[in-house]
Amino acid sequence: MILKLNHLKVKAAAATQGVIEAVCTLVDEGLIDQGQFARLQVELDWIQYKSNFREAVTATQGYNAFGQRVPIMDVHVDTRQVVLETLHDDLLRALRPAEPGVEQDRALLPLEEFQSMRSSIVWDFNRFFWRHLLAWEAATGKSYDKALPGGSSDGHNPLAIADDVAEFLDLLCGLQAKNRLPPEVNLLEIGVGSGSRCVQWLDLFLKLDQERGTRLYPRVRFYMGDFSEDTLNKARPNVARHIEQCRFVQLDAINPIKALAHLRHKILQVHLTNVYDNLPDEEVVRRDGKLYFVQVRAYVPEDAVSRIGGKYGIPAELFRDRIYHMLETGFDSFGGAEHGVPFWQELWAAMRLEERLVQLEDLPEFPFPEGLDAGKLEDILQDAPTDFRFHLSSGALESFIRTLPLLHPSGYLQVFDIFVTDLAQYRTGFFGPGKLDGSLLNWVNGALLKEVAQRQGYNVNFRSFKYRADTHTSILYTTRRE
Amino acid sequence: MTLPILPTAIVGSYAMPGWLERLKTDYFARRISRHDLDEIYDAAVKAAIKDQETAGLDIITDGELRRDNMVDYFAERLPGVQIDRSSKKFYYDFYESAVVAKLPMASMGLVQDFNFLNTYTERVAKFCVTGPHCLTKRIRNQFYPSEEAFATDIARVMNLELKALAKAGATFIQIDEPYYSGFPEDLAWGVNVLNTLVEGVSAKIAVHICYGNRHGKPSWEGSYRYLFPAILKAKVQQLTLEFARRGGEDLDLFKEFDAPFELGLGVIDVKNTEVETPEMVAEHIRRALEVMPAERIYILTDCGCFHLPRDVTFAKLKAMVEGTKIVRNELGK
Repeated sequence: MILKLNHLKVKAAAATQGVIEAVCTLVDEGLIDQGQFARLQVELDWIQYKSNFREAVTATQGYNAFGQRVPIMDVHVDTRQVVLETLHDDLLRALRPAEPGVEQDRALLPLEEFQSMRSSIVWDFNRFFWRHLLAWEAATGKSYDKALPGGSSDGHNPLAIADDVAEFLDLLCGLQAKNRLPPEVNLLEIGVGSGSRCVQWLDLFLKLDQERGTRLYPRVRFYMGDFSEDTLNKARPNVARHIEQCRFVQLDAINPIKALAHLRHKILQVHLTNVYDNLPDEEVVRRDGKLYFVQVRAYVPEDAVSRIGGKYGIPAELFRDRIYHMLETGFDSFGGAEHGVPFWQELWAAMRLEERLVQLEDLPEFPFPEGLDAGKLEDILQDAPTDFRFHLSSGALESFIRTLPLLHPSGYLQVFDIFVTDLAQYRTGFFGPGKLDGSLLNWVNGALLKEVAQRQGYNVNFRSFKYRADTHTSILYTTRRE
Repeated sequence: MTLPILPTAIVGSYAMPGWLERLKTDYFARRISRHDLDEIYDAAVKAAIKDQETAGLDIITDGELRRDNMVDYFAERLPGVQIDRSSKKFYYDFYESAVVAKLPMASMGLVQDFNFLNTYTERVAKFCVTGPHCLTKRIRNQFYPSEEAFATDIARVMNLELKALAKAGATFIQIDEPYYSGFPEDLAWGVNVLNTLVEGVSAKIAVHICYGNRHGKPSWEGSYRYLFPAILKAKVQQLTLEFARRGGEDLDLFKEFDAPFELGLGVIDVKNTEVETPEMVAEHIRRALEVMPAERIYILTDCGCFHLPRDVTFAKLKAMVEGTKIVRNELGK
């Protein structure tokens, strides 16, 4: 057995001892055989997201493409949730499906079949959250921003904006000195929220432009991109004083160039804050020289089904249908948001993800995100740890790769987000998925984005976000390279 | 060999297949031998030649598939240039290279690659070489007092090679100088260097100047106006420029300055995978005919097709050939 302890916090030491004792007891009791014991990899972690998709103890079994188990098994213990008194039973329950011939006996209501995380119903919930954000905020009495670490978006940080404006104006002046400044100075922000960053940015740019006498403000075209027309409409009055400079574009963050093809190679700055961490994602495990794709199945524990169903008058046999109905049509079947939102919140809090590992060689048609394929991934992993689990950051990678062609040769793309900047970091802890209010959150595999972008002719580096203490946010900064 | 009016060709490189990229990497990782790699190159070049012929091009290149990029192939062959072979991670990266003493005069061995091309096509063969100005931007100069002096010496060495190519039967040689657009201030001495390079070479010489195509993206933007009038002193027969991606505005410069050159007209955007229609190609050619007679126009891609997928490249070349036929018909030729 390999035991990995990722985090030394509060209950970790006691939990570690408890896990060792519990596993040894299970071996003594003959409930785990020697072979299974030898193959076990137990990982103890303090899951940073108080609200997440894991039980206190979960086991992830390996499978081949024919649904047959292969001798690989990961056990994850969340030292934050774990209860030492029940550890023995929790471990036994988690490990049982691995025993040949023993069917899963856990009481749960699956909401889907095992599949790619990317296509899981949890992302339907994520979309549902953004669609019904106002209802959620009304029920909680606080805006979504308040759920963010620091209580507001890092994209709105005045010092960060001021530094960026100064840097950008320097860039423009440098281009102008070489007679290479295009007639229109195009900028793009993807995910504009209330338009707060845009208006702050343009205020400061105008001020600095006037102070320096550079007269470049009239040439600025600030493209505000968002998937939601409602969001764009709400942002419009907030940028009213710069309306001549603003352009409003409805776009899919995963494919910005589709809506902006006319701006290929013409945008001097692209900015995103906390967009990538909320795009569909999936994970891959590297173990013993092989790659395994993590498939998931969302479920609700049966005790939660009984509790929530009882409270809202939903029989167990109709529970799943009501969930799908809600995701499709909203809260009508609950008589409105007043009753529907609490159901949704309790359901979301109870939802968990089962996982299994499927060998990548058995998935020849595995849909790698654009910019990546099996050969490139193997190449990238050459210098990576041999045993680790990492995000493919599929949505973020596709968004990134489909944004880069918009960059002017002298332009840059900056992303404020939570990045894993070195693949080895994945050995040190858990990086999502977690729940943030009703949305999903994953750290972004910045190291992978960097490798892919480098192969396509871009330099990527990461800067620390120096504008807020104790932040996990960093800045991905991308420019063209020769 | 007689060429039709409005002859068609690619600027230089053909699509680099993904499998060849992986095999190049395998060679770096010592998983395959040099001998195996050379055989792979031979097969890949033959396929590129065949594709160009099948698409209907009148002038054929070797697709530059033996080259890692437009610099290293020459830097490795330039006598006296020191290469740090551990300096690149991907085959397409540039080596760290430097010149620390005067370049000796010696062969670069390009004739062998030309002979291979000439053996496998019966159509007019075009051989492309990276120009001295571009090479000085990537090879660190630790000896010469100026970039101009360094470039001039590269030109002297390469002049011998160009003469050897002509002697071997090369009738059409293209010099690639994309960095002119990034460093327009160098153009005055750049043209002198170019003239040193081509002096006494008995072949048609084209100079290709674009806005960069590294990783399939432009490195700079601007107008070709910077070329004029300095470029008029260049002792070359053809200027090969990109117009498909950038539009045809700069075509008028040929009229304005009464440029004596043939025009290599870029009608295929190599930085976009969307395939042009023959009519789009025809429209580009008609626009060029407003400033220059058909007898002086060659129909080309904007730049090399290195970064495009093979199927896209082939479809684009077919469109180029069909579009050219439309205009030839309109001209009754």
